[in-house]
This record gives sequence, structure tokens and C-alpha cells, in this order.
Amino acid sequence: MNNTTDVLIVGSGVAAAAIAQKVLEKDPHKKITILEAGSKVKMRDFATHQNYLVTGNLPYEFCQDKAYPTKDSAGENESLGSTLLPMQGSRLMMYGGSTVHWGGWSFRLKPEDFKLKSNIEKHINKLSGNYDLVDWPFDYDELESYYCEAEHYIGVSGDSHDPSVPRSKGYPYPAFPYTAEDKPALDALKVLNLQYSHMPIARHGMSASGSIHPPCQTTGTCKYCPFGARYVAANYIDDMMQYKDYPNLEVKTGIVVESLIMSGKNKVKGVRFHDKNISETESFELHAHTVILAAGAIESSKLLLRSIDAHWPNGVGNDHDLVGRNLITHPYMMFEADLPENPDGLMPEMDFPTLVSRHFDSEAQQLMGKYIIVNPSSSIGTRLATEMQSGKPFSVIKDEITGKSKIQLHVLIEIFSQYNNRLYNASKRNHIGLVETAIDFEQGPDFNPRIKQIQADIEQIFAAMGASNTRLKTISWRADHAACTTRMAESANKGVVDKNLKVFDVDNLYVCSNGSFATLGAVNPTLTLTSLAIRLATHLNNHVFAHAQQTEVEEAV
Amino acid sequence: MDNVITYDVETSYPYLDDDLQIDQRTFEAMWRLFCQIKDYWQLSVPETGVKSQLLVFMQNRIKIDLNYYADYKNAAKVIRELTYQLGEQAAYEKLFTDPSANLQPPTTHLARARQRVSNEFITLALAVGGFKTFGAKNALGFISGGNIKGQTPYRTIEEA
Repeated sequence: MNNTTDVLIVGSGVAAAAIAQKVLEKDPHKKITILEAGSKVKMRDFATHQNYLVTGNLPYEFCQDKAYPTKDSAGENESLGSTLLPMQGSRLMMYGGSTVHWGGWSFRLKPEDFKLKSNIEKHINKLSGNYDLVDWPFDYDELESYYCEAEHYIGVSGDSHDPSVPRSKGYPYPAFPYTAEDKPALDALKVLNLQYSHMPIARHGMSASGSIHPPCQTTGTCKYCPFGARYVAANYIDDMMQYKDYPNLEVKTGIVVESLIMSGKNKVKGVRFHDKNISETESFELHAHTVILAAGAIESSKLLLRSIDAHWPNGVGNDHDLVGRNLITHPYMMFEADLPENPDGLMPEMDFPTLVSRHFDSEAQQLMGKYIIVNPSSSIGTRLATEMQSGKPFSVIKDEITGKSKIQLHVLIEIFSQYNNRLYNASKRNHIGLVETAIDFEQGPDFNPRIKQIQADIEQIFAAMGASNTRLKTISWRADHAACTTRMAESANKGVVDKNLKVFDVDNLYVCSNGSFATLGAVNPTLTLTSLAIRLATHLNNHVFAHAQQTEVEEAV
Repeated sequence: MDNVITYDVETSYPYLDDDLQIDQRTFEAMWRLFCQIKDYWQLSVPETGVKSQLLVFMQNRIKIDLNYYADYKNAAKVIRELTYQLGEQAAYEKLFTDPSANLQPPTTHLARARQRVSNEFITLALAVGGFKTFGAKNALGFISGGNIKGQTPYRTIEEA
């Protein structure tokens, strides 16, 4: 690896892939180096797909964090607060990042999400918690065109006439029709006059335009798609390397970035790293004109924090002690109830949901914490293979299919940033070679009352289906959507990056991850992250790189 | 030689690129087992093409885990012994329903035959279309096709 590059990107997930593609479309000779700590796993392989089908084992499980330590196991990472945010299963440290296992739910934030602080500050005294809120430094309209571009980039199938969020351009592929499994929930939503819509999902569809990405074949094995129909950054980076003429795009796996190298207070010179392919201990440097941290909210924050020098004694970008703080994620709740019968013999036919309600993801709900309701793809019915493998005969299974059944609805809820909720570097290294993470988190005092309100709403929906005995089956605080730890703000005393994702006071350092969100809303962040990545690449192309070229020409003259 | 460089692709198991041939006797025994699964649960498996799908499936299992080569031979032997002892129908019924075959981990020949072979064939039989017996139009593992208007590859809300 040469020791100088134009653009250095740390991390190889969707942000890295989208930025690289957008920059290279403008300048195919741009020298871009992507550094990834993890390794590659074979994708789009039929034998691996069949292995997942029959065993449930995924080939990338070793790229997850291990569970927290217990008295019986060493484990990884540290959970310090009173609320446990599991890291195991929340992300993948590998080529392609967490898009290798994501569900593909591709929501836009709503306009009010960009104005959380302004919208609720007059009423915030009604809440018990001490929250540290900011507005986004721009509004929904600024991001709208990038949302459109992002939906086309990752290949979203959705309803172009869905009124949930304003849009100027349709989805690239039509929505997947509601499944038969959606019927009980959809009928109930109709009866209760609650809004619902098609789940926008990153699965390629049929299109007249040429695409090297195949359409979804509804195999029901989305966690490892044998065709690559679900957006996975690993496939997209592979495609850039194999099919596009980008001679200076380089991706290196097994590279653990240790710290940023600064040349003065306001400029990053490059990174210091270990190459696991060569040595676990020897340190190397890679210099770059532009450095982008796209390693997720957790790793991007930790890298800033451990980059300490005379100019940045508390870590780069951390003069105001905000890096790693204001951590939030989405609590994910599974509600369950009992249906007396399942006369249509509904059962899981898909591996992704097609029905969502954003009724409670509204400005009116913003103060309490907005939430969405998803009808999961396995909401109801019998798992045929499990029943057969347990030895039940045909007649018994046949009766079970139309008999009483459990039914589920899942909920994602927005929570608010609290300054004391944070993450930072722990002392040990994990099995990938990255410094482990310490998370200090405590759920806010308003959370449990909010859950009771939500359970009452869900109970009404179940009742409208004819289901009884509503219960909260599980609630997971898993750190899948960890965000706001390098948040965007108008000024350095409120956030870590500016509206262009540039670290305050550093001219050539950017953070493009969920960490840079000012708020998270009630929906999955990946589409918004992709939009931000495309917006950043556009900014770099039009302002930073163009300006640099002009300066070079002027100096030559 | 394959010209795609893969040495830096990490894998949790060795990947066998060369075929390890399954002998005809073992394969016929496994096909018989697959057909018994189909009959026992009255699965609507397609009439044609499935035998070759089973062969590819077995080759794929061996490709990522060589133990399957022995597991298929073990399953064939277990079925032969059970058939000798109980007769054919009772032999398969024991393989499919005997609780002792659920032993975890599968440390008996019968348990390995159930869990490593028969149970996987059940999933495969469903995935190639057997689930249709139970009224669905799509299921886990079934390659049902694209989202084409008017030809939705799963039961829609209008069909419920």
C-alpha cells in the first residue's frame, strides 16, 4: 500500500461505498483508499445459502461482538450503566459493515425530526428526564433530493404515493404488495383509523433500466441472499472493483486504525494503523488530503477519542467533551397476543415485513417519543419445518395451522439524548483487533411510562384483530442504531461536526456515520445515513476537490 | 484454476472446491429417505428435477463440511439396520418420530441420522415446494420469483 492517498475512508459499510461511488463517478481517477479492520466473507454463494437455510447459521457470525463478560466467560466490551445496551449482534465488523446483515428497512426521517429541540422545548418541562437536544443544522428539504438519490442507489422498493413523507421523486421499484399475513393487522389499523403504508425495503425489483444487481426472488433467506438482491455494501464495493474502471480505488481489509495523525490543530495528516496481515504490533502511516471516518457511530467516536496530541488533549474534535456522548439507540419491542383461530392458515411466507404504521411517528407524539409499528414477517402461524422435525404427523400439523395462534407486532421508539449516556475506549482489544467499547447508559425516567402508553395502543390494535392477552414479550436496547455520538450542530459547543459533517476546527476531517445524526427519529437510520454520505460526496466534489484542483492549476501557472 | 483471488476471504470452515463423489448406493438411499419424507407428510414436491436438486444439496453440504460425506453413509446404514429390524415403514417412522433421536448433541448414529440428514431433508423438501400442501404460496428457501405486477410470488392480502 502506497503511503499517500487523496481520500482515506475508515470503514467499508454503506457510507464508505456510497461516498466512494459518488466521488468516482465524478472523477474516476481519484485515489481513494478504504481501510477495513475486519475481513471478507464469501457472498452470493449457493452452498452457504443452503447452509443458512438448514442450520440457521450465518457465515459472518464471527464478525459480531461477543457478549459482555460474565463470571463464566471472558466476553467483550464493558457495560457500566444501569441499562444494558447489548453489542453482540448489533453490528458487523467486516468488509461491507453492518449492511451485510441489515434488514433493509429504508425509511426517511420526517420533517419534524429535524426540529426536535425547537418543537418540544416549550413543553420539555412536562418530562422528568434531563435531555440534551439539538436541531439538525438544516431541514428536511435540504436532504430531500439526497434521499431520492439514496433510494435509487441502494435500490428501494416502495410506494411512491405514500403520503407519510414528502417526496419529489418516486422509488426506483414498486412496493411489495401486502402479504396475506398482513391482513389481521391491516384490518385492525383500518378499523381504528390509524395510518399505514408499505414498508420501503432495500430489495431490488424489476426495472426497464439496466442493473447489475439482480431482483429479489423472495427466497425468504434475506440474512444471506444468494442473489445479492438486498443492498449489501460488500457487493457494491466488489462491483466497483471488478466492473468499473476505477484504477485508483483500493480496499484493504485487516487494517486496524489506531489514531489520527494531526499536522497542527486544524489539519489531519493521515492515520496510524496496524496491518493484521503483516504484524499485530508494527505501526504504519497512511497520509491523505481528506480523511473520512465512516466506521459507524461507535468506532468513529472511539477513534476521535483516542487520537490525542498536544493540540487535542482530549481527543480530536473533543474540546467540548461531546465525542461519544449523547448516545441513543432504538429500543425494539416485540408485543404478542393470542388469536383464537387462524382460519386462513396464515404463516410466514417472506423474510421481510411489508406493512408498517407511522401513525404514531408524528409531530403530535414527538414530546413523548415517536414510534412506528411493524407487522413482522413472522407475525403469525406455524413453523412447518420445526413441527415436522419434532415428529408431529401431517394431521396434527394441518389442524395446528388453522387453530389458535400467537400473533406479534413490533415497535421501534425514539428516545432522547442525555449527556451522561456515552461510550468510550475500553482497555482491552476484541477478537477483531479493535479496542473494546465501554458503554455507560441509563434509560430516561420517562421511558417506562411511555411503554405503558404504547402497550395500551397496541392492545387496542390486537383487540381489533380479535386477539387477547396482550403482552410485551421482549424489549431490546441492542446498540444496532447507536447514534448521535459525534452529532451535527450549528456550533462546536453543541456538536462535533458541522452541517457538512466536517469536524469543527479541522479543515479536512469528516465523520459520516449514524454518530453524526442530531436526532434519530423513530425509524431505521440507514437510508438517512446513505443520503448524508451522498450529500457529503457531492459537497466534496463541488467545493473541496474542485477548489483544490483550481488551487493546483493556479499554483502551476 | 479459478482466476478470482479468494485467499483473503475469511471463512469459518474449509471450502471444498473439488467434488467428493457420493456413491450411487448412498445417494439412492438418500433419495429414498427424501421420498419417504415427502410421503409421510404428504408434501407436494414437484415431480421432476428434485432428485438432481437433492444431489446438488448433498454436494453443497459436503463442500462446506466434509463430515456430511460420512453423515450420509451413516444415515443409509441406520435406515438399513432399522429396516432389517422393524420393516421399511416402521423404520422411517422411528427415524422421523422417535424422541431419542433428538439427543443433544447428536451422539448416537440414530440422532446424527435424524439431525444432520433427515431434518435437513425436511427443510429442503419444504423449500422445493412441499410447503404448498399446507396452503401457502411461498416459504423459507423457496425461490418464488420476482415482484411482478399480477404475479406476486406470495399470498397477498387479497388472497387471504
